[in-house]
Amino acid sequence: MTIVTGKAEARRKLQPGRSGALRKIWAHRADYAYVLPAIAVMLIVIAYPIYYTVELSFFKTPPGLQLRDKTFIGFDNYTTILTSQVFWKVTWNTLIWTLGSTFISFVLGFATALALHRDFIGRGVLRAILIIPWVISAVAASYIWKWIYHSDFGIIGAVLVGLGLADQPPNFIDNVSTVLPSLIVVNIWREFPFAMIMMMAGLQTVPDQLLRAAKVDGANAWQRFWHVTFPHLRNVSVVTMLLLAVANFNSFIIPWIMTGGGPSNASHIWITHIYELAFGRQRWGVASAYSVLLFLTLMTLGYFYVRALSGNERKEGSA
Amino acid sequence: MAHVVLQDLVKSYGGFKAVNHVSLTVNDGEFVALVGPSGCGKTTTLNLVAGLTPITSGDIIIGERVVNDLDPKDRDIAMVFQNYALYPQKSVYKNLAFPLQMRKLPKDEIDKKVKEAARVLDMTHLLERKPRELSGGQQQRVALGRALVRDPAVFLMDEPLSNLDAKLRVQMRSEIKRFHQDLKATIIYVTHDQLEAVTMADKMAVMNGGYLQQYDSPAQVFAHPVNMFVASFIGSPAMSLIPLQASTANGNTVLTGAEGWRLELSPRNAQKVARATTKKVVLGARHSTIKLHKNALPGSVPAKAYTVEPTGDVTFVQAFLSGAVVNVSVPPNIAVAPDEQIWLEFDQERMHLFDGETEMALKAN
Amino acid sequence: MSTIAETAPRAQTRRRMRVDGWRWAGRIFLVFMLLYTALPMIWMLITSIKSGFAATQFPPQWWPDEPTLASYQKLLDPQNSVGQDFLRFFWNSLFVSTVTTILSVIVAVPAAYAFSRFSFPGRNFLFFAVLLRNMFPAVIFLVPLFILMRAIGLINTHGSLILTYLTFGLPLAIWLLKGFYDNIPVQLEQAARIDGATRFQAFIMIVMPLSTPGIIATAIYSFIGAWNEYIYAYTFLSKNEQLTLPVGIQRFFSENTTDFPGLMAASFMMSVPVVVLFLVLQRYFVRALTEGAVKH
Ligand SMILES: Nc1ncnc2c1ncn2[C@@H]1O[C@H](COP(=O)(O)OP(=O)(O)OP(=O)(O)O)[C@@H](O)[C@H]1O
Ligand SMILES: [Mg+2]
Repeated sequence: MTIVTGKAEARRKLQPGRSGALRKIWAHRADYAYVLPAIAVMLIVIAYPIYYTVELSFFKTPPGLQLRDKTFIGFDNYTTILTSQVFWKVTWNTLIWTLGSTFISFVLGFATALALHRDFIGRGVLRAILIIPWVISAVAASYIWKWIYHSDFGIIGAVLVGLGLADQPPNFIDNVSTVLPSLIVVNIWREFPFAMIMMMAGLQTVPDQLLRAAKVDGANAWQRFWHVTFPHLRNVSVVTMLLLAVANFNSFIIPWIMTGGGPSNASHIWITHIYELAFGRQRWGVASAYSVLLFLTLMTLGYFYVRALSGNERKEGSA
Repeated sequence: MAHVVLQDLVKSYGGFKAVNHVSLTVNDGEFVALVGPSGCGKTTTLNLVAGLTPITSGDIIIGERVVNDLDPKDRDIAMVFQNYALYPQKSVYKNLAFPLQMRKLPKDEIDKKVKEAARVLDMTHLLERKPRELSGGQQQRVALGRALVRDPAVFLMDEPLSNLDAKLRVQMRSEIKRFHQDLKATIIYVTHDQLEAVTMADKMAVMNGGYLQQYDSPAQVFAHPVNMFVASFIGSPAMSLIPLQASTANGNTVLTGAEGWRLELSPRNAQKVARATTKKVVLGARHSTIKLHKNALPGSVPAKAYTVEPTGDVTFVQAFLSGAVVNVSVPPNIAVAPDEQIWLEFDQERMHLFDGETEMALKAN
Repeated sequence: MSTIAETAPRAQTRRRMRVDGWRWAGRIFLVFMLLYTALPMIWMLITSIKSGFAATQFPPQWWPDEPTLASYQKLLDPQNSVGQDFLRFFWNSLFVSTVTTILSVIVAVPAAYAFSRFSFPGRNFLFFAVLLRNMFPAVIFLVPLFILMRAIGLINTHGSLILTYLTFGLPLAIWLLKGFYDNIPVQLEQAARIDGATRFQAFIMIVMPLSTPGIIATAIYSFIGAWNEYIYAYTFLSKNEQLTLPVGIQRFFSENTTDFPGLMAASFMMSVPVVVLFLVLQRYFVRALTEGAVKH
């Protein structure tokens, strides 16, 4: 543990002749010790890989990880990607996957949080049960749902047949048109609890006084929600949705384990596709170029993320 | 106990100087109140003395030691904070014991001292409670107790009473005063309530914008403010400050109001005006030194009543004079109506005169 | 007068009906969400106590004719090769997750504290740089990290996972904890320092206990994240004896594709530790989120 006892802050006599910025950094050098471990880990695991990915995206690489033999090919990898059919198919899937999962998870989570806001017997138990899917591993979730969707012995198919809604069990995940929605259902199952927790936390911060004032002013339940609760939760909502969107954009496990991207790429999203390009087909250069594109997309999202966060960020003086 | 000396103390945040070349000496056993408007650097000054904030330049001496580079724990001081800063997870007993534990006192001695402090402050029955289970006044007392168990050389208090209601504040005020007298403690006490300062302190340090304005006994500060800021800051209602024009003709010095009226000055006051750097002179008068007349008497000047505020004991009348608002107090049996024409007579012995440029008080010689 | 007397009660009944309407909608919705959430998990449990034969019936047996714990016995039996593997995966997961959690807390606490208390140049930039880590998908880092880990000889070791997992947990951990520290008045530390504590003691004795809920929340978050992580473990580890649970189970059952009761039993047991941990400590988690993340 690298905690410094901060005596350095009392040492104000600086070496003369340093420029303003350096001098300030020097004056605060003890403070950096606190964040150094975090930053160091981040640098190793983030900065270096980003640099390396960008570099690799301009090279043609031989299969296998014998990267010494790579050759520079400029933007060729990028043109290969942008002109390929699969790219657009996968991008479309990613869009549906991300937006669908994010939006529905958020709405379900928010609605659940609202319904749970009023106290009733068994609320704590119910809340705990609803959170479980978020806690268990996505691998377990994938297997559970794969079993539920099973084309021969799946329970949903059996129920549909039993109710006379289908002649034989439908094949949910081996069918180009139903596979993506089916996976989104699984994803939402795992994710709405997160939205629920965030919004529950947010709801606790809505000042009771405001709600009471609105009641006195004659607002009905819906008006109170719309004019008091919802505006108050705007920031939390934005942050929650952005976090969900980023998580969904980056998700891998559910499609990878349940379908591996199939059938015929119908459930491939960017991440699974990149993974397959890199570790399946060993096309490291193309995969890296893909990653860079992904990275740029995420930077755009990231911009909004930081903006939403810094809207929440409180400026604080030093100790 | 010990004395405290601040020598040319400066604290800057970036380019901004929160404390600006402040020098003052607090004698052993003295109670000094640090007053000034919000943001003037009172807390910063106290934190500098405590060692919570590193100083930019200057020196701090406590007792016989220069403590500039000492940690707070080595300065032999105790501090009471505005929001009490009681450790929320510790009981009252543990809050009081903490400073002693940190000094590695033996357990039985800690116990003895804590119980003694609790007895003095009449909170023996509260020892097992957590801070959140106490009222504001009780929390305040615990904070005070935590400062006094240790028997430090100097007590620093940062607006310790400002979170209490008016009645409790008066009560705690006398308790702190008693505590000062019993212990003969050296106390630096920050407040923006000048009544607190006046009633408790031996000396008063008035600050503004990071500068020390005046450092003297409350009576002196009240009677002889060194400049217009101190004059207007100390006293309630504030001293009225009326900008006027000075002129001298055949040996008589006369002040002229914007409305054209003239006020002849006594020789002593004329002497003061002669020292001004400009013709612009500001007349300062406290409400009780102005007489209100219903007709034009010699030596009085015409004004128009603006608001009338009966408070029971006295009635405060505000009037416009030469572009300034003048506060006058009159006995409640004198009825004044808003917009009524009145005449004001200033007490030449007790009026203050300030240089219109430098804003410093003008002295006779 | 009389009109008011007539309309007043009616208005009231209408209002009560509307309120009831919302409440009923809420209840029905909660029942729906409960079914959606719980039925898959119940089906997992039911399947896990079936025999392989009973699981592959059509129509399915809603409740097994002969419930059996055979799948669990097999997974937990150290004599049998399946059990050996499963238990080893379990210990691997536990080891990796625990170490990750401890390191996360050790790294995140001082960083969050510094971000909250000090104003050093670049503080905001660094803070957001740390948060931005959340933005990047695992896969972007996969190839270069694989190469990096190979270069520093961490491939096929748990060290590669621990180092990587640290960075997942850190951003949220730092963010949550910073919110906590923001809410602890500086005066408490100042008081402690005047009472004779060093800055470090003030931190350990006064601030740390107050931020315990945040630290617990951070720890749960890191632990669950590490326990459930799949993609790096899948890429970095190839030796059977080092696999963590998610990868181990996946490897195992892609070879035994029809043992659904076994798969469900394994999924269940893989979920138990994190679910228990979370349920026991969830109030800290919600509180940490409220104090740290939402209440700014
Ligand atoms: N850490 C800091 N960084 C930058 N400026 C600061 C810092 N602390 C205080 N200041 C500034 O220094 C000035 C003096 O602050 P200080 O807290 O001493 O005022 P104060 O006299 O105690 O006011 P109040 O009566 O409101 O408590 C203020 O303008 C404040 O904004
Ligand atoms: Mg202050």
